[in-house]
Amino acid sequence: MDILFSLAHGFAVATQPVNLLVAFIGCFVGTVIGALPGIGPVNGIAILIPLAFSLDLSPVSALILLTSVYYGSMFGGRIASILLNIPGDSSAVVTCIDGFPMAKQGRAADALAISAISSFVGGTLATVGLTVLAPTLAMAAIHFGPREYFALYVMAIVIVGGIATGNPAKTLAAGLLGLAIGTVGIDPATGIPRFTFGAYELYEGIDFVIVAIGLFAISEFLIYIEQRRTGPIEQVPVGRRTTALRQLTYPATSLRASLLGFVIGVLPGAGATLASFMGYALEKRVSDKDGTFGKGDPRGVAAPEAADNAAAGGSLVPMLTLGVPGSGTTAIMLGMLVTLNVQPGPLLFQQQPDIVWGLVAALYVSNVILLILNIPLVGLFAKLLTVPSHYLMPGVVTVSFLGVYSVNQNSFDLLLMVGFGVFGYLLRKLSIPLVPVVLGIILGTPMEQSLRRAMAASGGDIWTLVESPLALLLHAITACVILVAILREAGRRRNAAAVERGA
Amino acid sequence: MEIIAGRRALAAGMLGLAGLAGARPAAAFVGPRPECLAPSAPGGGWDFTCRTVGRLMQELKVVSQPVQVSNMPGAVGAVAFANVTSRRAADNNLFVATSTVGLTQIAQRRYPGDVDRVRWLAMLGADTGVILVRADSRFKTLGDFLDALKADPGGIVTGGSSSLGGYDHLRLLLLAQKAGIPSADLKRFRWIHYDGGGPAVTQMLGGHVEVVSTDLAEIAGFVEAGQIRVLGAMAEARLAGSFANIPTAREQGYDVVGLNWRGFYTGGRVSDEHYNAMIAGLKQVYDSEGWKEAARRSGLQPIWRSGPDFERFVANMVTELRSLSQDIGIIS
Amino acid sequence: MSDRIVGVLLALFAGWYSWEARSYAVDFGDPMGPALFPEILAPPVGLLGLYLVLRPDPDPEWSTGRYLLSQLATVVALVAYALLLQPLGFILATLVMVACLTAMLGARLPQALLGGVVSSLGFFALFDWFLGIPLPPGLAFGG
Repeated sequence: MDILFSLAHGFAVATQPVNLLVAFIGCFVGTVIGALPGIGPVNGIAILIPLAFSLDLSPVSALILLTSVYYGSMFGGRIASILLNIPGDSSAVVTCIDGFPMAKQGRAADALAISAISSFVGGTLATVGLTVLAPTLAMAAIHFGPREYFALYVMAIVIVGGIATGNPAKTLAAGLLGLAIGTVGIDPATGIPRFTFGAYELYEGIDFVIVAIGLFAISEFLIYIEQRRTGPIEQVPVGRRTTALRQLTYPATSLRASLLGFVIGVLPGAGATLASFMGYALEKRVSDKDGTFGKGDPRGVAAPEAADNAAAGGSLVPMLTLGVPGSGTTAIMLGMLVTLNVQPGPLLFQQQPDIVWGLVAALYVSNVILLILNIPLVGLFAKLLTVPSHYLMPGVVTVSFLGVYSVNQNSFDLLLMVGFGVFGYLLRKLSIPLVPVVLGIILGTPMEQSLRRAMAASGGDIWTLVESPLALLLHAITACVILVAILREAGRRRNAAAVERGA
Repeated sequence: MEIIAGRRALAAGMLGLAGLAGARPAAAFVGPRPECLAPSAPGGGWDFTCRTVGRLMQELKVVSQPVQVSNMPGAVGAVAFANVTSRRAADNNLFVATSTVGLTQIAQRRYPGDVDRVRWLAMLGADTGVILVRADSRFKTLGDFLDALKADPGGIVTGGSSSLGGYDHLRLLLLAQKAGIPSADLKRFRWIHYDGGGPAVTQMLGGHVEVVSTDLAEIAGFVEAGQIRVLGAMAEARLAGSFANIPTAREQGYDVVGLNWRGFYTGGRVSDEHYNAMIAGLKQVYDSEGWKEAARRSGLQPIWRSGPDFERFVANMVTELRSLSQDIGIIS
Repeated sequence: MSDRIVGVLLALFAGWYSWEARSYAVDFGDPMGPALFPEILAPPVGLLGLYLVLRPDPDPEWSTGRYLLSQLATVVALVAYALLLQPLGFILATLVMVACLTAMLGARLPQALLGGVVSSLGFFALFDWFLGIPLPPGLAFGG
């Protein structure tokens, strides 16, 4: 009951008028900033901190401001994904798959509304789960050691392999290429540089932003030039939502994805990106009866968004109980707590429940405000697409360069981005999907490191990987997924053959 | 790393803001355009050092112009080191943030040049290396642990927040050397690297690693909560405040000091006059209440070493780390 | 045919990747070492490459003539921009690049110049002033 009481107190503070106003400003500014690819919450927070100080906000209000900027910029990242096919951060990659086709069909406003609604659902469920389950779950998370993480990453790669449509060999090759690109840079376990060709710029690895913006945004521009060959490109009608809000909720999808996302979020380090990918893969497996996923299926937007936000909530569990940040969100929140002179750690929860639950309430309030703010604004955002292409596309290219430039401020990264743009263009022409490449880059390092940690702990005994019941269970699930996929493929071929014979 | 970066970025931002207060000329610091070079991206540890010290220099009016913080990330400081030694060796505006992490890289010859290519200014504070176990561990003292390690070098799973051959690992090996474990056995230790002290300790609580070697600041909360035991702190003397009951390694008979210090170097051809003025400026920062406060917040013990004393300290440390790295085959 | 070429390239890449990885070795403390993971990745990549050689998909329709030319021109413009951003400064470099791209997409010259001016000044204001991300000032500000 203590928890409920503290949470109620947190909400009482968070819903004071001044705090609501602050949350509103934060969400709006965050949304605008997040919509610029490569520019994220850190920049937004940097801008608003002076404001927080000059207005002399109380610590709680400052927290609310910063969480709302964070949430706002997450949502803003979806705007770029859906409208322009540029993932602003790693958890927005999967939103591109169905979000961008929706925008091309003139349903940009719908897609944005779905994103806002299912994010809200995910956030809500996570808050509930957090309140009820936090202490139980934290203990479970501790038992996740290197081999369990490795099993989880293997499962993720296999499951996510099913995301892309088309030639499975090409999907697999794309994923492996991503893993290979992920090995560039200093090996974290031994400090040895790998595949760097002696270029210092590559020592820290290839930043995700560079790859994602290059592969998606720059290749989009090259594709666009070529498409003009088939005559003038039709301007898509955009602006208003085409569907009633009620029909954009997808409750079953959001619920499934939220549960999955929350569980993944509880594991420190797995995080929102994995949750968004797996939420999408699960939904595709469950719902994709007609092969509409990847071609603008609204559920393909709802699932990752719900999972992503539920994971952000789930990642509060290790933060609250262990003081270890489980995701980007919690890392930023921990940073805020540190500046408020709160020492993160396992005692955080007992020593300063007011601040901690105030933070949870602040997150939730930001979630609500974002929904209220953005539903009316989605039409406005979608209007961006009415800018004539010969202005819009070069503008997008400029923003892409700026997003990459802001990472390290050097020309090398810009050239690398252009290189990845040409690479992405070729992959798209050859029907090799881009998403597995990006996923491989994101998951490669943690996957390799968890494998090597397991090996180091066991002294090189490979059987250690299956000696824990939890890891064994995860591997069994993976095996089932592969088996089902093979059977299904075989069935499809038999049917196709039968149809051919029949005809 | 990313996680820590986020937190530091924010802290830096907050501190940077406080630095907006006015500045009036009263130059004790040489150079018309003072610049602190952080060899990391904005938000990294070295960036934090630069921004904090830069802000304090301005507040204390050590400088007449605001200190410009520029970032030059790459190869754990090697890019910045190469730039300073080749192009800005005589630049009296410039001071560069570094720490034990950078020095370890120099010791393992991963920078283009050795310690004598630059002039070492001063260190202003340090985090303390600690050896940790779970509260219910079989090891009660550093001696218990090191004896067990001596008996079975490959039998104990150890870990920390650095790579193999990184400073957390080397500190543990230095202790093992003092315990009389031969070099050939040092190679057999099992070492798991984690992305930070927090994750390492969490995994220790879950039983995935038995002993952790890392810095105190990040995991201080776990110590206070009583979930973990500190077998020994690698400090010169006992720590202050709530950590006073932690025994040092030295008092248990293992004379190893493993401080992760934060400090600065400047170009190798900066004149003595400018070099001394820079040190005087840093000393003013060190003596201020603001530095004590900033150090406390980020878990550093204020420690001052400067000039020839600091250069000797750096040279000794490099010699020690280099010979250890050679012994265990990290470098040839 | 395209897929066959891709297959060959993939197989070559796998070979090189594995060979390069073999040079990363440590003789202490890490039972798996930095080489093993790349070496695990390489064989499946090579096999997939061979598979593509044997079972290629139909060729995509590659762009030709004028369109291929403008794609190449675009890439040249982007590379030039990446190289000239710091020496020329953001405003000048962006003005030129955006104007070129806009013109190539079929806008008339005044329109293209307008697009260039608006983008360069607008983005400079947004990033440098509002977001506090310093952009190279270059020639435009004598800096």
